[in-house]
Amino acid sequence: MNESIVYLHKAENNTFVEASLFDQVTDEHLAMWSNEWVPVMKKHVGDLKLENAPEDSHWDWKKKLAEVGHLLSYQSFALICEGDLQGLMIVSNVRSAKIQEQFGKPIVYVEFVSTAPWNRVEINKPVKYRGAGRIFILAAIESSREMGYGGRVGLHSLPQAERFYESKCGFKRLGPESTHQNLCYFEMTSSQADLFCQNM
Amino acid sequence: MKLNYPKEWFEKSALIEGDDEIGAGVPPVNWCAREDEASVESRIALGQFVELWRRDKGWNAERLANEAGIDTGEVLELEKDPHHEPEPDAVYKLANVFGVSSRKMMELAGLVQNRNPYLREEAIRFAAQADSISKLTDAEQQSLEAFVSALTLTN
Repeated sequence: MNESIVYLHKAENNTFVEASLFDQVTDEHLAMWSNEWVPVMKKHVGDLKLENAPEDSHWDWKKKLAEVGHLLSYQSFALICEGDLQGLMIVSNVRSAKIQEQFGKPIVYVEFVSTAPWNRVEINKPVKYRGAGRIFILAAIESSREMGYGGRVGLHSLPQAERFYESKCGFKRLGPESTHQNLCYFEMTSSQADLFCQNM
Repeated sequence: MKLNYPKEWFEKSALIEGDDEIGAGVPPVNWCAREDEASVESRIALGQFVELWRRDKGWNAERLANEAGIDTGEVLELEKDPHHEPEPDAVYKLANVFGVSSRKMMELAGLVQNRNPYLREEAIRFAAQADSISKLTDAEQQSLEAFVSALTLTN
């Protein structure tokens, strides 16, 4: 398991604090998820109508990891900052690209990614930390490069995150897919990945 | 995988991100029902079979699509994306063009229940031997012919 030093913006005092990105989710990370993350999410969802609850509020990360943790084609990531879990991601490396210019070439596909409830503006305003989303995309790109996939990445965005992937990360929007509950599919080419890594 | 970026990268990146939502992924109902590895393996073999068969004829994907009366995109997705669930109609039409059992093609595509345990083994053996990039070698030619036989023979 590798640990990368990264930085998050701490809104409380407008500083940047060191964080760690691990390329394997451990039982300790999952314990943080169930003990810290889940209670806050449950409290937020509370009496909300189902359609108003965050789409990922019912995701069971323990179950997801149990299903794919032993498969070589899947990799999981955990982001830790100041002793707390800030985000989780699972990627796979067996899917292929859909954009015409790279059609059929292998990509790293983001199966699931989400950030802790205290980092979401609709739950906690101001948010505690900013920057987790682009750190995870950077990790997906680097994972893709390491696989020899040239930084190509694809994902199905939850509806409220579409702007992030298109405008803030430079993904190409390919439209909703009925095979994926009509979630919009986004894909990044190698050159788009290069621009992302240059922070452009 | 290890990230080696300076602190400045993350400072700029966090400002770009702002307070945007970042969630991505298909909700659990599909995740639990995701295709099993066996059907992916079969579809890899199916894709290589389709590609080798048309290359053996000297056809491009468009020619094969025209002959079968299906979309070119369907042929390309069948060949390149083992996660793509093909249309039953397209698989049936391709089986007719290939002159093989449509039932077995459907099994390979994961569209009907697999009732022939040897077909999957045959498919994996075929997929392992086939090289979809280079010109058909004699070995590939033999492998293709053997697999066509496996798809043609009745149970």
